[in-house]
Amino acid sequence: MLWVGVDVGGTFTDLVVYDDEAGTVRAGKTPSTPDDPGRGVLNGLRAMDVSLGAVRRFRHGATVATNTALERAGAELGVVTTAGFRDVLIVGRGNRLRLYDIKATRPPGLVRRSRVMEVAERLAADGSERIALDENAVRAAAERLRELRVEAVAVCFLHAYANPEHERRAAEIVRAVLPDVPVSWSADVLAEHREYERFATTALNAYVAPRVAGYLARLRDGLAAGGLRAAPEIMTSSGGSWSFERMARLPVNSMLSGPAGGVIGAVSLAERLGYRDLITYDMGGTSTDACLIRDGRYALATEGQVGGFPNRAPQIEISTVGAGGGSVAYLDVGGFLNVGPRSAGANPGPACYGRGGTEPTVTDANVVLGRFRPGEPLGGEIVIDVAAAEQAVGALAHRLGLDPMETAEGIVRIAVARMTGAIKEISVMRGIDPRAFTLLAYGGAGPLHAAAVAEELGIRTVLVPPLSGAFSAFGLLVADRRLDFSRTRVMPLAGASLDDVRAVLAPMREEAAAELAAEGFPAERIRFEAAVDMRYVGQAFELTTPLADDARDVADLVAAFHRVYEERYAHADDGPVEAVSFRLSAYGLTEKPGLPSPAGRALDAARRGSRPVRFAGEMRETPVYRREDLPATARIEGPAIVEEAGSATVVPPGARCVRHPSGALVIEWERTRS
Amino acid sequence: MTPIDPITLEVVTEGLISVVREMRATVFRTARSVAIYEARDFSCGLFDARGQVVAQSEDIGSHVVPLPWSVEASLARMGNDLAPGDVIVMNDPYLGGTHLNDVTLIYPVFHDGRLVFFPAVREHWADVGGAVPGSMSGSATEIYQEGIRIPPVKLVEAGKVNRAAMEILLSNMRVREERLGDFNSGLAACRTAERRIRELIARYGIDTLLAGVAGNIDRSEARMRAQIAKLPDGEFLYEDWLETFGPAPGYRLEPLRLPLRLTITGETLTADFTGAAAQAPAPVNSTLAVTAASVFITLKSVLDPKQALNQGSFRPVTVVAPEGTIVNVTHPAPAGSHGEIRKRVIATMLGALAQACPELSSADIHRTSFHNLIGGVDPATGKEFVHYEWSSGGNGGFAEADGPSAMAAVDWGDLSTVQPTEVLETRFPLLVEWSRQATDSGGPGRTRGGLGMRRALRLTRGHATYSLLADGAMVPPFGVLGGESGACVGSYARRDGADHPFPTPGKVGGHRMAADDVVVLQSAGGGGYGDPTERAPEAVLEDVEEGYVSSAMARAVYGVEIVDGAVDAAATVALRAAIRDARLSLVAVATEAERAYEAVGRGTKRVAWLHPDDAARLGLAEDAMVELLGPRGAPLRAWLRCAAATTRGTVPVDPFAARVLGGSPGTPLWIRPVLRATLG
Repeated sequence: MLWVGVDVGGTFTDLVVYDDEAGTVRAGKTPSTPDDPGRGVLNGLRAMDVSLGAVRRFRHGATVATNTALERAGAELGVVTTAGFRDVLIVGRGNRLRLYDIKATRPPGLVRRSRVMEVAERLAADGSERIALDENAVRAAAERLRELRVEAVAVCFLHAYANPEHERRAAEIVRAVLPDVPVSWSADVLAEHREYERFATTALNAYVAPRVAGYLARLRDGLAAGGLRAAPEIMTSSGGSWSFERMARLPVNSMLSGPAGGVIGAVSLAERLGYRDLITYDMGGTSTDACLIRDGRYALATEGQVGGFPNRAPQIEISTVGAGGGSVAYLDVGGFLNVGPRSAGANPGPACYGRGGTEPTVTDANVVLGRFRPGEPLGGEIVIDVAAAEQAVGALAHRLGLDPMETAEGIVRIAVARMTGAIKEISVMRGIDPRAFTLLAYGGAGPLHAAAVAEELGIRTVLVPPLSGAFSAFGLLVADRRLDFSRTRVMPLAGASLDDVRAVLAPMREEAAAELAAEGFPAERIRFEAAVDMRYVGQAFELTTPLADDARDVADLVAAFHRVYEERYAHADDGPVEAVSFRLSAYGLTEKPGLPSPAGRALDAARRGSRPVRFAGEMRETPVYRREDLPATARIEGPAIVEEAGSATVVPPGARCVRHPSGALVIEWERTRS
Repeated sequence: MTPIDPITLEVVTEGLISVVREMRATVFRTARSVAIYEARDFSCGLFDARGQVVAQSEDIGSHVVPLPWSVEASLARMGNDLAPGDVIVMNDPYLGGTHLNDVTLIYPVFHDGRLVFFPAVREHWADVGGAVPGSMSGSATEIYQEGIRIPPVKLVEAGKVNRAAMEILLSNMRVREERLGDFNSGLAACRTAERRIRELIARYGIDTLLAGVAGNIDRSEARMRAQIAKLPDGEFLYEDWLETFGPAPGYRLEPLRLPLRLTITGETLTADFTGAAAQAPAPVNSTLAVTAASVFITLKSVLDPKQALNQGSFRPVTVVAPEGTIVNVTHPAPAGSHGEIRKRVIATMLGALAQACPELSSADIHRTSFHNLIGGVDPATGKEFVHYEWSSGGNGGFAEADGPSAMAAVDWGDLSTVQPTEVLETRFPLLVEWSRQATDSGGPGRTRGGLGMRRALRLTRGHATYSLLADGAMVPPFGVLGGESGACVGSYARRDGADHPFPTPGKVGGHRMAADDVVVLQSAGGGGYGDPTERAPEAVLEDVEEGYVSSAMARAVYGVEIVDGAVDAAATVALRAAIRDARLSLVAVATEAERAYEAVGRGTKRVAWLHPDDAARLGLAEDAMVELLGPRGAPLRAWLRCAAATTRGTVPVDPFAARVLGGSPGTPLWIRPVLRATLG
């Protein structure tokens, strides 16, 4: 039977097909079709000749939700909220997005103020009712929203995390009036306190819901028509796999669907190869994503956002910077040389794509430096036009008064500096020394720059996994089912017992167990992880602290909090501690694919000649190898280039590249280097 | 100096900014004051050996931009007496500081025996002693009530902490362990910076690194010079007012005058505050560093908003502020009012720039930092609580767009200014009854000023006191180019369904609250930009639909008639013509400067002498506030005086007013009441 992972990116749709009987893996790439991404998916499956009837697992990474939010192409939204609080979603936290700019404005919100309806109702912080829900007012609000032709509704009441009843009832009433419109309610989307962040996440959910639901339904029908019998699944931002139906209801959980696949793949690969501490480095066409994996685990973000709007749905902590292969290098007013965040995108793309692009990009700089082989097909179709790259870089060089080679090297240096900054955000800025980590490089442009990024950070080992160009699609196949639940309930822990804590977690655990059982997971394949957001009494923010399975009393939990606190803030207090939010992650464990690693016989047979490549200001005659032909124990001294479809790994002078038995490439430096 | 290629320059710059980011992360990780690690009320910066800002990050302008004065004052005191391992600590407003709570660590870094960089950290310490917990007192009459003053001293010498000095400091502050933690966090940040600077030196060489620093500063300077050169040469004058009140029972308004003479000559610019009111024994004064920094922040935000900030931008700019005035406070007057002086310096700058480059600048912003405090003992826990809120208001309209509503002003970095109701009600015995943008609070204009927030807070149990340190409760944010005023700051005790103002609006000390008492807090709006009768009628209709403008305001000020949810085009044309016809235009006649001002207690008022018939045509009584508008710029505010001796149909103007309004004697000036919208 086949397992299929399909990751839709901005430029390309990547596919990985695993045959669990033959033990083989195939990867493929096809241009994305942004107007209807499902068409690209089906195109890719056809191009790879996948027999959908033989597929037992179909996993998807999609950017529909993210693009809908970024392009502001979502639903005309209506909101029903607590009387007196119409402006929560309109003014947010009252902060300034651009410093030192008298003309800085707030981006237009997801909902117009006139579509925010206030209704009488009010809960206190403990969830008790201060003012009963005015059901007639809810009905009148829904009718008004119907007149205004809204396409989605969010119900957002204060303190709903403590008591969802008002919201649940209001959502029912709205549904009765507007039966064809998706209705999201805040305690269902995210049962956590801080109204702006919860309301905004709920509004975002409603905003993207019609488009995501429509997309998933069309894709499901298309797959079924092609013969797929298995229920297709989609990746969540927190690195779990969900049914299409669940995601259609809570699409705000798919904002990081694509990058999450890569991180899950990294965790799985690291486990297999025995690496515990990794930094993932995923460089694509427009941006670079990095994630820190410590002791085999990744962290969830606490301050996620998309397009300037808060998104507090559970999501992997990923640091993103607008630097990718397509990032444009240009001179700003006053002679400032910039690289990105503006991107040439897929169309026209870098000058070397020969589609009419004239501005130099990071990819063009790599072509000029000799790192891309002329004529090598890039992503299946595009053929590199060296002359166009040289012309684009040359024009910029002329304006800078430098020679084109220096300029090309400079463009790459600046891009590397920016990407290094993104990695520092999740390491150095958290008091974590990246030199103790291994850099795992993937994405179309990751292996090209990985060695330079590692050198900049003082990292001594770089791993380039098999299928590096389609690694996120591979990661989709290794994910478990994952459901995340949370509830805010402030509980002073002095005098509380572990039973009090477990009592808050119990309903979430039951709900999760029932849901996973209904999906066919037997008890022995279900695993739970509990955590508690805690703080010192008097503070206004929390740190997530795992609740160990073997915790015997609350003191163990408090001690764990002190440790987490000290790690984050370099000091801990002995003051009283309170629990604020309770979190439960439930996993339905699924089988994992094997990762075959066919190898060639001899290094010489893998060699594809040599060409001059520039390193640190010098042209070096550099041997070029074909990755899939490398022998199992290949050892290559830099400088060298290892090419594969859609990507190339650069091994700089002074480094060595060893092929790991798993098929991964390992770049290492001598220990003596400073 | 070693020449540096543009690529190395970018990479070195990225490295220097990264040093500051890591400093920030270190402070955030290790500080002990809640204000530092929750509100992020601290800033880091990297300075060169001469004290110029080299790099900063997401830091608060009001902290970082004044830092060069602190470094300069420290160098003046001990420049030749610094050695590796020394750390300077200071907070003295009279010696390059801001207010006493902003404690600053300055850390010299040497290379081969030569001073090369100063990493510095400015943190808002929650308490530095003084009369009240938190040290910021609305009733201070001398600096001694505001906390302990630290001139630049080496608190660490050759790596060893001066324990004697440290003991004296900590013994004069509340919660001393927390203060020691704050100090250590700043020290840790500076040491991190030193380590990273050494790595950069090892990597690029000291000459390249310093060439990068110089190159960066030079090109920022070049950008700013080019921007200033585009402005017309000349002198641009403006004046604005800070509010103080006389004694009980009258609590008469005694405004303090802040005049500005902005001179643009080629590529350079001078902001001269000569004539500013004498410093007062009240928290209305601030320091030269704060004044100059506010000039810089305005210029950067108006003229060069794109690139990262460093000292080069400020080289072509000179600031003059005479000692002993509200904008350059000297011993022993209180110096706690940096938040108000900052906003007022920015306002005078905007008033002058509205004449020089109205297409680049905006109308006035919300005039105050609006420090509200509700504190007491919560009977449910028996513990003390203090709720501190600083709602931002509207920003000024500008050529392309309406001013943003309820958004932090340009001097405030990325501080959040709306606190979550759900957190507030969990922590304090308070209930937020409602929290809304106040309809009609944005100054009307062709582009509208942003709206302020109006919030009602109820004390749910026990007793508490309410205090407020603000400004702009009497003199509202001004519009430009004919735009109208935004709403004033307000705060009220709500009793029996009515809002009762306090006797000294904007300045409240210890108002007693019992359970179920409600206070209503109103942040100011932003000023409007351009004539409101030129605003697109569809935009006014949308404002009415969205609830930003009332239909009464739409009719009366914008001249837009809305019938059944649509603009009545014909009625609107007629209404607008009628509004413009009804405007009172008076002929300017020359008068001498002495006639233009009147002393009121320790304050001053600009007065407009009108014939009683003209006052009646405005519908105003003696001492009402009016606006005089010329064909350009911002209006001058004055208090009305009726004088039968003034010729009917004329208004006397002194030379200063004539230059602000651009109207020489004989030309017509538009005079109108200051708009006071009724807010619901």
